[in-house]
Amino acid sequence: MIDREKPMVEVRKVRKSFGDLEVLRGIDMQVKKGEVLVIVGPSGSGKSTLLRCINLLIQPDSGDIFLEGVKVNDPDIRPEWVRQQIGMVFQSFNLFTHLTALKNVMLGLTKVKRLDGLEAEKIARYELERVGLADKADAYPAQLSGGQQQRVAIARALALNPKVMLFDEPTSALDPEFIHEVLDVMTKLANEGMTMVVVSHEMGFAKSVADELIFMDNGVIVEVGVPEEVFASPKTDRMRAFIGKILG
Amino acid sequence: MRDPGRDSGWRRVWDEPLFKTGVGIVGLLAVVGLLLTALNDIGEISFDFMASHWSFLLRYALTSLEATVISFAVGFGLAIPMGLVRAFGPGMIRRGGLARGVASPLYAIVTGYAEVIRGTPALVQIFLIQFWVTSTFQGVPGISLWAGIAALSVNTTGYQTEVFRAGFQSVGQGQIEAAKSIGMRPTQTFASITFPQGLRLITLPLANEWIALFKASSLLWLIAVQELLWGMDYIGTKLNHPIDAFILGSFFYLAILIPLSRAVTFLERVKRIPGLGVAEPQRRALFAARFARLDRV
Ligand SMILES: Nc1ncnc2c1ncn2[C@@H]1O[C@H](COP(=O)(O)OP(=O)(O)O)[C@@H](O)[C@H]1O
Ligand SMILES: [Mg+2]
Repeated sequence: MIDREKPMVEVRKVRKSFGDLEVLRGIDMQVKKGEVLVIVGPSGSGKSTLLRCINLLIQPDSGDIFLEGVKVNDPDIRPEWVRQQIGMVFQSFNLFTHLTALKNVMLGLTKVKRLDGLEAEKIARYELERVGLADKADAYPAQLSGGQQQRVAIARALALNPKVMLFDEPTSALDPEFIHEVLDVMTKLANEGMTMVVVSHEMGFAKSVADELIFMDNGVIVEVGVPEEVFASPKTDRMRAFIGKILG
Repeated sequence: MRDPGRDSGWRRVWDEPLFKTGVGIVGLLAVVGLLLTALNDIGEISFDFMASHWSFLLRYALTSLEATVISFAVGFGLAIPMGLVRAFGPGMIRRGGLARGVASPLYAIVTGYAEVIRGTPALVQIFLIQFWVTSTFQGVPGISLWAGIAALSVNTTGYQTEVFRAGFQSVGQGQIEAAKSIGMRPTQTFASITFPQGLRLITLPLANEWIALFKASSLLWLIAVQELLWGMDYIGTKLNHPIDAFILGSFFYLAILIPLSRAVTFLERVKRIPGLGVAEPQRRALFAARFARLDRV
């Protein structure tokens, strides 16, 4: 029996500074299993830093991160063990440039999960098919459009069968004509029940897919709520100003 | 106007890197051959002498090759960890704590090594190491060759360290983050990402270092290693045919270096990965575009 109420990811009182600059100033948030959380906020507000803290690419200075109730920012826990359970998709795709799409997806399976080549290939082909790129298996990243690269990056993360997927502005480096194909894949994932934390200013996606929306500014969470309500009637001036800005 | 259909077959052959190289080398050999024949005819040089002594020089050419291959391999093995220290030492030092304690002295030593080796003449290094090795291992047969190999190894390690440093540094931070994000450990990230990508980016400078090292192996003549230059000097002086001996010896250097550098260029093109390292062969694309246009007219 799945406990729908137990948070998949929980962040408690997380703080992080780079030198004198305090980027996260006490963040509390949680995502339940199967939920989609969208984070918005002005550039420099600490959104990427928060995602990086969740999968321990950055160690928080204080506060705790829990994955399915297990405290993971703990010296006894290997960060690699945590990261292989959390998929991450970057703004700039970051596909391995010397590997084909197929090998990009296979690498984590053979090196991290230690599957043999045949089994890894089977899974990788399945994941590429899921993002609609079965025919691009042998293409190198430089031979793919931005939208295709980002879908391969999603397949690479999905292949490890993560408990939660983190997306850091997955469409903001894309030409407008490629944005929808990535959002379509993400929507499909959400509908299949994937737990997701998405930093994105795509309001349409947030309204139709997200269960909850967080507005961050200056290292703190300013507003939380159901996306439609937050967009329709923001409670704070900062949120109102921000919405005005992203609507242009 | 030429008929594109017939022309493009030729163009394709002409565009083959191997074909072009072949034409270049054959052409060059023809010119040099004519010149040498003329010199032979007027008695300045002697083909007969060269023909009867090339096999004598072969032995010594192989010694030069041996010294180069061994020291290059030693340098390659040492330069990988040293290049890593050079590339990532500063980052670890900035992180502080234990990382800083380990990285600081290593970084200082490796940087100092690379600076000293690249900042002093190879010949001085060879003399120094030769004095030390021969006085330590007095009377061991063949010790001067091993002293020479040690000196060349010490020298090429310094240069290769810097080549690897540049290669590792040009692998993007995003690549390393992506590897981390799928749960790869630092050693796996190095073996699967940083090293293969870095190596691709430095194929050319590494080949250049091999070429420079092979030529530098002639310096070992000055510490009495019986290598190619020694062989040239020996027959040249002893048989009083210095010009013939040096021309003949030069052909050995060329016969080893030219095919090697061509092979590297060829491999680089064949094994090329789009978006990484060497640029796409532009001429081929240009020709294709031109003929595509002609076809449509
Ligand atoms: N590794 C780092 N070192 C120093 N400063 C950083 C680092 N990463 C982020 N920052 C700074 O932290 C602030 C928040 O960055 P980020 O989390 O990327 O914001 P966002 O993703 O919301 O735009 C920015 O001012 C940024 O310059
Ligand atoms: Mg960001």
